[in-house]
Amino acid sequence: MIYLLAFVVSLALIVLILYNSLIRKKNDVDNAFASVDVMLKRRYDLIPALVEAVKGYMNYERDILVEITTLRTKALSDKINNDERVVIENQIRQKLSDILAAVENYPDLKANQNFLKLQGAINETEEQLSASRRAFNAAVTIFNNSVEVFPSNILAAVIRFRRRTLFEIPESQKVRPDVSPLTSNKWPV
Amino acid sequence: MSQLKNFREFYETTLRPELEIIDREKKQVNKRVITVLSLTVASVFFELLLIPSGTMLKGMLPLLTAFAGLVTTGVLSKNYRKEFKSKIILKITGFLDEGLTYNPDGLIPLSEFLKSEIFQLSCESYTGEDHFRGKIGKTDIEFSEITAKHKNTSSSGSSQKEEYITIFSGLFIIADFNKNFKTRTIVLPDTAEKLFGKFGQTLQSISMGRGKLVRLEDPVFEKEFCVYGDDQIEARYILTPALMERIVAFKRKWDKKVSLSFIDSKVYLAININKNLFETRVFRPVADYSFMEENLRFLILLTEIVEDLNLNTRIWTKE
Repeated sequence: MIYLLAFVVSLALIVLILYNSLIRKKNDVDNAFASVDVMLKRRYDLIPALVEAVKGYMNYERDILVEITTLRTKALSDKINNDERVVIENQIRQKLSDILAAVENYPDLKANQNFLKLQGAINETEEQLSASRRAFNAAVTIFNNSVEVFPSNILAAVIRFRRRTLFEIPESQKVRPDVSPLTSNKWPV
Repeated sequence: MSQLKNFREFYETTLRPELEIIDREKKQVNKRVITVLSLTVASVFFELLLIPSGTMLKGMLPLLTAFAGLVTTGVLSKNYRKEFKSKIILKITGFLDEGLTYNPDGLIPLSEFLKSEIFQLSCESYTGEDHFRGKIGKTDIEFSEITAKHKNTSSSGSSQKEEYITIFSGLFIIADFNKNFKTRTIVLPDTAEKLFGKFGQTLQSISMGRGKLVRLEDPVFEKEFCVYGDDQIEARYILTPALMERIVAFKRKWDKKVSLSFIDSKVYLAININKNLFETRVFRPVADYSFMEENLRFLILLTEIVEDLNLNTRIWTKE
Protein backbone atom coordinates (compact mmCIF):
# COMPACT_ATOMS: atom_id res chain seq x y z
CA MET A 1 0.00 0.00 0.00
CA ILE A 2 2.76 2.38 1.00
CA TYR A 3 4.59 1.62 -2.28
CA LEU A 4 1.50 2.38 -4.29
CA LEU A 5 1.07 5.66 -2.43
CA ALA A 6 4.73 6.55 -3.00
CA PHE A 7 4.34 5.73 -6.72
CA VAL A 8 1.21 7.88 -7.06
CA VAL A 9 2.79 10.77 -5.19
CA SER A 10 5.97 10.70 -7.28
CA LEU A 11 3.96 10.42 -10.49
CA ALA A 12 1.84 13.40 -9.46
CA LEU A 13 5.01 15.31 -8.63
CA ILE A 14 6.55 14.54 -12.02
CA VAL A 15 3.36 15.62 -13.80
CA LEU A 16 3.30 18.82 -11.75
CA ILE A 17 6.92 19.66 -12.60
CA LEU A 18 6.41 18.91 -16.30
CA TYR A 19 3.18 20.91 -16.35
CA ASN A 20 4.78 23.96 -14.70
CA SER A 21 7.77 23.78 -16.99
CA LEU A 22 5.52 23.64 -20.09
CA ILE A 23 3.45 26.59 -18.88
CA ARG A 24 6.60 28.59 -18.16
CA LYS A 25 7.94 27.88 -21.64
CA LYS A 26 4.61 28.84 -23.21
CA ASN A 27 4.64 32.11 -21.26
CA ASP A 28 8.19 32.80 -22.42
CA VAL A 29 7.01 32.40 -26.00
CA ASP A 30 4.04 34.73 -25.40
CA ASN A 31 6.27 37.31 -23.73
CA ALA A 32 8.75 37.21 -26.56
CA PHE A 33 5.92 37.58 -29.07
CA ALA A 34 4.57 40.57 -27.16
CA SER A 35 7.96 42.27 -27.30
CA VAL A 36 8.08 41.75 -31.08
CA ASP A 37 4.71 43.50 -31.15
CA VAL A 38 6.03 46.40 -29.08
CA MET A 39 8.89 46.89 -31.53
CA LEU A 40 6.52 46.71 -34.51
CA LYS A 41 4.38 49.43 -32.94
CA ARG A 42 7.48 51.56 -32.48
CA ARG A 43 8.23 51.05 -36.16
CA TYR A 44 4.68 52.12 -37.12
CA ASP A 45 5.11 55.27 -35.03
CA LEU A 46 8.31 56.19 -36.82
CA ILE A 47 6.97 55.80 -40.36
CA PRO A 48 4.82 59.00 -40.44
CA ALA A 49 7.75 60.97 -38.97
CA LEU A 50 10.06 59.60 -41.64
CA VAL A 51 7.64 60.36 -44.47
CA GLU A 52 7.18 63.89 -43.11
CA ALA A 53 10.94 64.44 -42.82
CA VAL A 54 11.86 63.29 -46.34
CA LYS A 55 8.89 64.32 -48.47
CA GLY A 56 10.12 67.89 -48.92
CA TYR A 57 13.38 66.59 -50.39
CA MET A 58 12.46 63.46 -52.31
CA ASN A 59 10.78 64.28 -55.58
CA TYR A 60 11.52 61.09 -57.45
CA GLU A 61 10.60 58.67 -54.69
CA ARG A 62 7.09 59.93 -53.95
CA ASP A 63 5.65 56.53 -54.92
CA ILE A 64 7.61 54.75 -52.19
CA LEU A 65 6.36 57.24 -49.62
CA VAL A 66 2.76 56.65 -50.64
CA GLU A 67 3.27 52.89 -50.66
CA ILE A 68 4.81 52.75 -47.21
CA THR A 69 1.99 54.88 -45.77
CA THR A 70 -0.59 52.53 -47.33
CA LEU A 71 1.24 49.47 -46.02
CA ARG A 72 1.34 50.95 -42.53
CA THR A 73 -2.41 51.58 -42.58
CA LYS A 74 -2.96 47.98 -43.73
CA ALA A 75 -0.69 46.58 -41.03
CA LEU A 76 -2.58 48.49 -38.35
CA SER A 77 -6.01 47.27 -39.51
CA ASP A 78 -7.61 44.40 -37.62
CA LYS A 79 -8.84 42.63 -40.72
CA ILE A 80 -5.61 40.93 -41.69
CA ASN A 81 -4.49 37.51 -40.47
CA ASN A 82 -1.04 36.60 -39.19
CA ASP A 83 0.30 35.35 -42.53
CA GLU A 84 -0.79 38.48 -44.36
CA ARG A 85 0.75 40.54 -41.63
CA VAL A 86 4.12 38.86 -42.05
CA VAL A 87 4.03 39.65 -45.78
CA ILE A 88 3.15 43.30 -45.06
CA GLU A 89 5.89 43.58 -42.41
CA ASN A 90 8.44 42.30 -44.89
CA GLN A 91 7.30 44.83 -47.48
CA ILE A 92 7.49 47.65 -44.94
CA ARG A 93 11.04 46.64 -44.05
CA GLN A 94 12.00 46.65 -47.72
CA LYS A 95 10.44 50.07 -48.30
CA LEU A 96 12.17 51.47 -45.22
CA SER A 97 15.54 50.37 -46.45
CA ASP A 98 14.73 51.70 -49.95
CA ILE A 99 13.95 55.12 -48.48
CA LEU A 100 17.10 55.15 -46.34
CA ALA A 101 19.16 54.11 -49.38
CA ALA A 102 17.58 56.89 -51.50
CA VAL A 103 18.64 59.45 -48.89
CA GLU A 104 22.20 59.03 -50.20
CA ASN A 105 21.15 61.10 -53.25
CA TYR A 106 20.13 64.08 -51.12
CA PRO A 107 23.13 65.65 -49.37
CA ASP A 108 20.98 68.36 -47.72
CA LEU A 109 18.81 65.72 -46.13
CA LYS A 110 21.84 63.70 -45.04
CA ALA A 111 23.19 66.73 -43.24
CA ASN A 112 19.90 67.50 -41.47
CA GLN A 113 20.32 66.84 -37.73
CA ASN A 114 16.66 65.99 -37.17
CA PHE A 115 16.74 63.50 -39.98
CA LEU A 116 19.95 61.93 -38.67
CA LYS A 117 18.30 61.44 -35.29
CA LEU A 118 15.30 59.87 -36.93
CA GLN A 119 17.53 57.61 -39.01
CA GLY A 120 19.28 56.52 -35.80
CA ALA A 121 15.93 55.76 -34.19
CA ILE A 122 14.83 53.71 -37.21
CA ASN A 123 18.07 51.73 -37.30
CA GLU A 124 17.75 51.12 -33.58
CA THR A 125 14.14 49.94 -33.86
CA GLU A 126 15.04 47.59 -36.71
CA GLU A 127 17.92 46.17 -34.65
CA GLN A 128 15.66 45.76 -31.61
CA LEU A 129 13.02 44.16 -33.78
CA SER A 130 15.51 41.69 -35.12
CA ALA A 131 16.70 40.96 -31.56
CA SER A 132 13.17 40.34 -30.31
CA ARG A 133 12.44 38.08 -33.29
CA ARG A 134 15.55 36.06 -32.47
CA ALA A 135 14.54 35.93 -28.80
CA PHE A 136 11.10 34.72 -29.91
CA ASN A 137 12.65 32.02 -32.09
CA ALA A 138 14.85 30.88 -29.20
CA ALA A 139 11.84 30.67 -26.87
CA VAL A 140 9.81 28.81 -29.51
CA THR A 141 12.63 26.32 -30.09
CA ILE A 142 12.76 25.51 -26.38
CA PHE A 143 8.95 25.25 -26.26
CA ASN A 144 8.77 23.06 -29.38
CA ASN A 145 11.39 20.72 -27.98
CA SER A 146 9.30 20.20 -24.83
CA VAL A 147 6.16 19.64 -26.88
CA GLU A 148 7.83 16.92 -28.93
CA VAL A 149 10.22 15.24 -26.53
CA PHE A 150 9.18 12.33 -24.28
CA PRO A 151 7.73 12.42 -21.61
CA SER A 152 6.56 16.06 -21.75
CA ASN A 153 4.99 15.40 -25.20
CA ILE A 154 2.29 13.24 -23.53
CA LEU A 155 1.26 16.03 -21.21
CA ALA A 156 1.54 18.60 -24.01
CA ALA A 157 -0.89 16.51 -26.08
CA VAL A 158 -3.32 16.32 -23.15
CA ILE A 159 -3.34 20.09 -22.59
CA ARG A 160 -3.31 20.65 -26.38
CA PHE A 161 -0.06 22.50 -26.70
CA ARG A 162 1.13 22.43 -30.29
CA ARG A 163 4.31 23.35 -32.07
CA ARG A 164 4.64 27.07 -32.79
CA THR A 165 6.04 28.49 -35.99
CA LEU A 166 9.37 30.29 -36.06
CA PHE A 167 9.92 33.73 -37.56
CA GLU A 168 11.94 33.66 -40.70
CA ILE A 169 15.06 35.76 -40.40
CA PRO A 170 15.27 37.94 -43.53
CA GLU A 171 18.16 37.38 -45.90
CA SER A 172 19.38 40.95 -45.43
CA GLN A 173 20.11 40.17 -41.78
CA LYS A 174 22.11 37.09 -42.66
CA VAL A 175 24.80 39.14 -44.37
CA ARG A 176 28.10 38.04 -42.88
CA PRO A 177 30.55 40.71 -41.78
CA ASP A 178 33.91 40.80 -43.46
CA VAL A 179 36.21 39.49 -40.78
CA SER A 180 39.18 38.97 -43.09
CA PRO A 181 41.10 42.00 -41.72
CA LEU A 182 41.02 40.28 -38.37
CA THR A 183 43.27 37.56 -39.63
CA SER A 184 45.97 39.90 -40.94
CA ASN A 185 47.71 40.67 -37.63
CA LYS A 186 47.66 37.59 -35.45
CA TRP A 187 48.82 36.79 -31.95
CA PRO A 188 51.59 35.92 -31.23
CA VAL A 189 53.02 38.59 -33.48
CA MET B 1 48.91 48.47 -40.87
CA SER B 2 50.15 51.53 -42.75
CA GLN B 3 51.97 52.57 -39.58
CA LEU B 4 54.43 49.72 -40.06
CA LYS B 5 55.65 51.22 -43.34
CA ASN B 6 56.74 54.50 -41.77
CA PHE B 7 58.02 52.84 -38.63
CA ARG B 8 61.47 52.07 -39.99
CA GLU B 9 62.18 55.76 -40.50
CA PHE B 10 60.73 56.66 -37.10
CA TYR B 11 62.90 53.97 -35.54
CA GLU B 12 66.09 55.22 -37.17
CA THR B 13 65.54 58.90 -36.45
CA THR B 14 63.76 58.96 -33.10
CA LEU B 15 64.03 55.65 -31.29
CA ARG B 16 67.46 54.35 -32.13
CA PRO B 17 69.55 57.13 -30.51
CA GLU B 18 67.56 56.75 -27.27
CA LEU B 19 67.71 52.97 -27.40
CA GLU B 20 71.45 53.04 -27.79
CA ILE B 21 71.74 55.17 -24.65
CA ILE B 22 69.57 52.66 -22.80
CA ASP B 23 71.71 49.80 -24.12
CA ARG B 24 74.87 51.47 -22.85
CA GLU B 25 73.29 51.99 -19.44
CA LYS B 26 72.04 48.41 -19.50
CA LYS B 27 75.53 47.13 -20.22
CA GLN B 28 76.98 48.94 -17.21
CA VAL B 29 74.12 47.85 -14.99
CA ASN B 30 74.48 44.25 -16.18
CA LYS B 31 78.15 44.32 -15.14
CA ARG B 32 77.17 45.53 -11.69
CA VAL B 33 74.39 42.95 -11.53
CA ILE B 34 76.84 40.17 -12.32
CA THR B 35 79.20 41.46 -9.60
CA VAL B 36 76.38 41.62 -7.06
CA LEU B 37 75.16 38.15 -8.02
CA SER B 38 78.67 36.64 -7.78
CA LEU B 39 79.19 38.29 -4.40
CA THR B 40 75.82 37.00 -3.23
CA VAL B 41 76.56 33.43 -4.32
CA ALA B 42 80.00 33.57 -2.70
CA SER B 43 78.61 34.99 0.57
CA VAL B 44 75.88 32.36 0.73
CA PHE B 45 78.44 29.65 0.09
CA PHE B 46 80.77 30.87 2.86
CA GLU B 47 77.92 31.45 5.27
CA LEU B 48 76.80 27.87 4.77
CA LEU B 49 80.36 26.66 5.23
CA LEU B 50 81.45 28.75 8.19
CA ILE B 51 78.43 29.21 10.42
CA PRO B 52 78.17 26.26 12.81
CA SER B 53 75.13 24.11 12.21
CA GLY B 54 72.25 24.00 14.64
CA THR B 55 72.10 27.76 15.13
CA MET B 56 69.30 30.05 14.03
CA LEU B 57 71.83 32.02 12.02
CA LYS B 58 72.62 29.04 9.81
CA GLY B 59 69.10 28.93 8.48
CA MET B 60 68.41 32.64 8.31
CA LEU B 61 71.54 34.42 7.14
CA PRO B 62 72.07 32.73 3.74
CA LEU B 63 68.42 33.26 2.91
CA LEU B 64 68.62 36.93 3.88
CA THR B 65 71.80 37.39 1.86
CA ALA B 66 70.25 35.81 -1.23
CA PHE B 67 67.17 37.97 -0.81
CA ALA B 68 69.25 41.15 -0.39
CA GLY B 69 71.28 40.24 -3.48
CA LEU B 70 68.15 39.78 -5.61
CA VAL B 71 66.59 43.02 -4.35
CA THR B 72 69.80 44.91 -5.19
CA THR B 73 69.84 43.58 -8.77
CA GLY B 74 66.16 44.56 -9.09
CA VAL B 75 66.92 48.10 -7.88
CA LEU B 76 69.94 48.38 -10.19
CA SER B 77 67.99 47.42 -13.33
CA LYS B 78 64.85 49.33 -12.38
CA ASN B 79 66.21 52.57 -13.73
CA TYR B 80 66.75 51.54 -17.34
CA ARG B 81 63.57 49.47 -17.37
CA LYS B 82 61.67 52.56 -16.31
CA GLU B 83 63.44 54.66 -18.89
CA PHE B 84 62.58 52.17 -21.60
CA LYS B 85 58.90 52.45 -20.77
CA SER B 86 58.66 56.17 -20.15
CA LYS B 87 60.70 57.11 -23.21
CA ILE B 88 60.45 54.38 -25.82
CA ILE B 89 56.99 52.89 -25.27
CA LEU B 90 55.59 56.38 -24.81
CA LYS B 91 57.06 57.45 -28.16
CA ILE B 92 55.74 54.35 -29.93
CA THR B 93 52.30 55.12 -28.48
CA GLY B 94 52.43 58.67 -29.84
CA PHE B 95 53.65 57.37 -33.20
CA LEU B 96 50.73 54.97 -33.49
CA ASP B 97 47.97 57.34 -32.42
CA GLU B 98 48.32 60.82 -31.04
CA GLY B 99 45.05 60.48 -29.19
CA LEU B 100 46.44 57.65 -27.09
CA THR B 101 48.15 58.33 -23.75
CA TYR B 102 50.43 55.97 -21.86
CA ASN B 103 51.19 55.70 -18.17
CA PRO B 104 53.77 52.96 -17.37
CA ASP B 105 52.72 52.71 -13.72
CA GLY B 106 48.99 53.18 -14.21
CA LEU B 107 46.36 50.47 -14.28
CA ILE B 108 42.62 49.97 -14.72
CA PRO B 109 41.07 50.65 -11.29
CA LEU B 110 39.95 47.65 -9.26
CA SER B 111 36.40 49.02 -9.14
CA GLU B 112 36.15 48.84 -12.93
CA PHE B 113 37.67 45.38 -12.99
CA LEU B 114 35.06 44.16 -10.52
CA LYS B 115 32.26 45.99 -12.30
CA SER B 116 32.82 43.81 -15.37
CA GLU B 117 31.46 40.82 -13.38
CA ILE B 118 33.59 38.51 -15.50
CA PHE B 119 35.30 37.23 -12.36
CA GLN B 120 33.29 36.22 -9.35
CA LEU B 121 35.90 35.33 -6.74
CA SER B 122 36.80 38.17 -4.39
CA CYS B 123 40.06 39.89 -5.25
CA GLU B 124 42.59 40.41 -2.45
CA SER B 125 45.67 41.15 -4.50
CA TYR B 126 45.39 43.44 -7.51
CA THR B 127 48.37 44.74 -9.46
CA GLY B 128 48.96 46.07 -12.94
CA GLU B 129 50.97 48.33 -15.21
CA ASP B 130 51.14 49.77 -18.73
CA HIS B 131 47.94 51.74 -18.78
CA PHE B 132 46.92 53.07 -22.21
CA ARG B 133 43.99 55.37 -22.65
CA GLY B 134 42.48 57.38 -25.49
CA LYS B 135 39.96 57.76 -28.21
CA ILE B 136 40.15 55.74 -31.40
CA GLY B 137 37.73 57.22 -33.92
CA LYS B 138 34.56 57.71 -31.92
CA THR B 139 35.38 55.12 -29.31
CA ASP B 140 36.89 55.73 -25.88
CA ILE B 141 39.17 52.88 -24.94
CA GLU B 142 41.57 52.02 -22.12
CA PHE B 143 43.60 48.94 -21.36
CA SER B 144 46.33 47.73 -19.03
CA GLU B 145 48.03 44.61 -17.84
CA ILE B 146 46.36 43.20 -14.75
CA THR B 147 47.10 40.39 -12.31
CA ALA B 148 44.31 39.66 -9.87
CA LYS B 149 44.55 37.08 -7.10
CA HIS B 150 42.09 35.59 -4.68
CA LYS B 151 43.12 34.69 -1.13
CA ASN B 152 42.05 31.21 -0.25
CA THR B 153 42.07 30.27 3.42
CA SER B 154 41.79 26.62 4.23
CA SER B 155 42.02 25.25 7.74
CA SER B 156 43.07 21.75 8.62
CA GLY B 157 42.73 21.13 12.34
CA SER B 158 44.11 24.08 14.26
CA SER B 159 46.43 25.38 11.53
CA GLN B 160 45.23 27.80 8.90
CA LYS B 161 46.72 27.84 5.44
CA GLU B 162 46.59 30.84 3.18
CA GLU B 163 47.29 30.76 -0.50
CA TYR B 164 46.76 33.12 -3.39
CA ILE B 165 45.06 31.82 -6.51
CA THR B 166 45.47 33.80 -9.73
CA ILE B 167 42.02 34.57 -11.07
CA PHE B 168 43.25 36.62 -13.97
CA SER B 169 46.55 37.52 -15.54
CA GLY B 170 46.63 39.33 -18.85
CA LEU B 171 45.20 42.30 -20.65
CA PHE B 172 42.07 43.99 -19.42
CA ILE B 173 40.30 46.34 -21.83
CA ILE B 174 37.37 48.70 -21.43
CA ALA B 175 35.80 50.32 -24.48
CA ASP B 176 32.74 52.39 -25.10
CA PHE B 177 30.12 50.24 -26.89
CA ASN B 178 28.28 51.60 -29.93
CA LYS B 179 24.79 50.95 -28.57
CA ASN B 180 23.04 51.95 -25.37
CA PHE B 181 21.79 49.24 -23.05
CA LYS B 182 20.65 48.93 -19.47
CA THR B 183 21.10 45.29 -18.48
CA ARG B 184 24.11 42.98 -18.09
CA THR B 185 25.29 40.52 -20.73
CA ILE B 186 28.30 38.36 -19.95
CA VAL B 187 30.14 36.24 -22.51
CA LEU B 188 32.43 33.59 -21.04
CA PRO B 189 34.62 30.93 -22.62
CA ASP B 190 32.59 27.77 -22.84
CA THR B 191 34.43 25.09 -20.96
CA ALA B 192 31.40 23.08 -19.84
CA GLU B 193 29.94 22.48 -23.29
CA LYS B 194 33.32 21.64 -24.80
CA LEU B 195 33.97 19.03 -22.12
CA PHE B 196 30.54 17.55 -21.55
CA GLY B 197 28.48 18.34 -24.68
CA LYS B 198 24.72 18.40 -24.02
CA PHE B 199 25.21 17.76 -20.31
CA GLY B 200 27.48 20.82 -20.31
CA GLN B 201 24.53 22.92 -21.48
CA THR B 202 22.65 21.87 -18.37
CA LEU B 203 25.66 22.83 -16.25
CA GLN B 204 25.77 26.21 -17.96
CA SER B 205 22.24 27.04 -16.85
CA ILE B 206 23.62 27.36 -13.32
CA SER B 207 24.60 30.97 -13.81
CA MET B 208 25.85 31.91 -10.31
CA GLY B 209 23.97 35.21 -10.17
CA ARG B 210 24.87 36.40 -13.64
CA GLY B 211 21.35 36.35 -15.00
CA LYS B 212 19.84 33.69 -17.22
CA LEU B 213 21.59 31.57 -19.80
CA VAL B 214 21.10 33.03 -23.29
CA ARG B 215 21.13 30.41 -26.04
CA LEU B 216 22.14 31.95 -29.32
CA GLU B 217 21.59 30.61 -32.80
CA ASP B 218 25.18 30.75 -34.06
CA PRO B 219 26.53 27.22 -33.50
CA VAL B 220 30.19 28.22 -33.85
CA PHE B 221 29.79 31.00 -31.31
CA GLU B 222 27.84 28.74 -28.96
CA LYS B 223 30.64 26.19 -29.06
CA GLU B 224 33.24 28.77 -28.06
CA PHE B 225 31.25 30.87 -25.59
CA CYS B 226 28.43 30.75 -23.15
CA VAL B 227 26.31 33.83 -22.57
CA TYR B 228 24.43 35.01 -19.50
CA GLY B 229 22.15 38.00 -19.42
CA ASP B 230 19.42 39.78 -17.51
CA ASP B 231 17.38 40.36 -20.63
CA GLN B 232 17.03 37.88 -23.47
CA ILE B 233 16.18 40.57 -26.02
CA GLU B 234 18.84 43.06 -24.99
CA ALA B 235 21.48 40.30 -25.06
CA ARG B 236 20.51 39.67 -28.68
CA TYR B 237 20.35 43.39 -29.41
CA ILE B 238 24.02 43.54 -28.38
CA LEU B 239 25.09 40.17 -29.77
CA THR B 240 23.87 40.48 -33.33
CA PRO B 241 24.79 37.66 -35.74
CA ALA B 242 27.47 39.96 -37.16
CA LEU B 243 29.02 40.74 -33.76
CA MET B 244 29.00 37.06 -32.78
CA GLU B 245 30.98 36.27 -35.90
CA ARG B 246 33.39 39.10 -35.13
CA ILE B 247 33.92 37.84 -31.58
CA VAL B 248 34.70 34.33 -32.81
CA ALA B 249 37.18 35.73 -35.34
CA PHE B 250 38.68 37.95 -32.62
CA LYS B 251 39.15 34.96 -30.33
CA ARG B 252 40.86 33.01 -33.10
CA LYS B 253 43.07 35.94 -33.95
CA TRP B 254 44.40 36.16 -30.39
CA ASP B 255 44.28 32.42 -29.81
CA LYS B 256 43.86 33.06 -26.08
CA LYS B 257 41.13 32.69 -23.51
CA VAL B 258 38.84 35.69 -24.08
CA SER B 259 35.95 36.79 -21.84
CA LEU B 260 33.67 39.73 -22.45
CA SER B 261 30.95 41.57 -20.66
CA PHE B 262 28.58 44.29 -21.73
CA ILE B 263 27.60 46.53 -18.85
CA ASP B 264 26.52 50.18 -18.69
CA SER B 265 26.87 50.67 -22.45
CA LYS B 266 30.52 49.59 -22.26
CA VAL B 267 32.31 46.44 -23.33
CA TYR B 268 34.85 44.84 -20.96
CA LEU B 269 37.35 42.36 -22.36
CA ALA B 270 39.71 40.10 -20.46
CA ILE B 271 42.39 38.35 -22.51
CA ASN B 272 44.52 35.83 -20.60
CA ILE B 273 48.18 36.27 -21.47
CA ASN B 274 51.13 34.81 -19.63
CA LYS B 275 53.66 37.32 -20.86
CA ASN B 276 54.80 40.63 -19.46
CA LEU B 277 54.35 43.06 -22.33
CA PHE B 278 56.26 46.26 -23.14
CA GLU B 279 59.41 45.25 -21.22
CA THR B 280 63.13 45.46 -22.01
CA ARG B 281 65.14 42.32 -22.44
CA VAL B 282 68.13 41.42 -20.32
CA PHE B 283 70.63 39.63 -22.51
CA ARG B 284 70.06 41.11 -25.95
CA PRO B 285 70.27 44.79 -26.94
CA VAL B 286 67.04 46.74 -27.18
CA ALA B 287 68.29 48.83 -30.10
CA ASP B 288 66.95 46.25 -32.50
CA TYR B 289 64.37 47.04 -35.16
CA SER B 290 62.50 43.74 -35.01
CA PHE B 291 62.17 43.97 -31.22
CA MET B 292 60.69 47.46 -31.52
CA GLU B 293 58.39 46.37 -34.35
CA GLU B 294 57.12 43.59 -32.12
CA ASN B 295 56.16 46.16 -29.47
CA LEU B 296 54.41 48.27 -32.09
CA ARG B 297 52.52 45.22 -33.36
CA PHE B 298 51.27 44.46 -29.85
CA LEU B 299 49.91 47.98 -29.64
CA ILE B 300 48.34 47.82 -33.10
CA LEU B 301 46.73 44.53 -32.17
CA LEU B 302 45.23 46.16 -29.10
CA THR B 303 43.97 49.29 -30.80
CA GLU B 304 42.51 47.17 -33.60
CA ILE B 305 39.94 45.89 -31.11
CA VAL B 306 37.83 48.93 -31.95
CA GLU B 307 37.71 47.91 -35.61
CA ASP B 308 37.49 44.20 -34.88
CA LEU B 309 34.33 44.69 -32.85
CA ASN B 310 33.07 47.42 -35.18
CA LEU B 311 32.78 49.89 -32.31
CA ASN B 312 33.13 53.01 -34.47
CA THR B 313 29.92 52.26 -36.36
CA ARG B 314 27.42 54.63 -34.78
CA ILE B 315 24.27 54.22 -36.84
CA TRP B 316 22.02 53.76 -33.80
CA THR B 317 20.88 56.36 -31.30
CA LYS B 318 24.19 56.43 -29.41
CA GLU B 319 26.61 58.99 -30.82
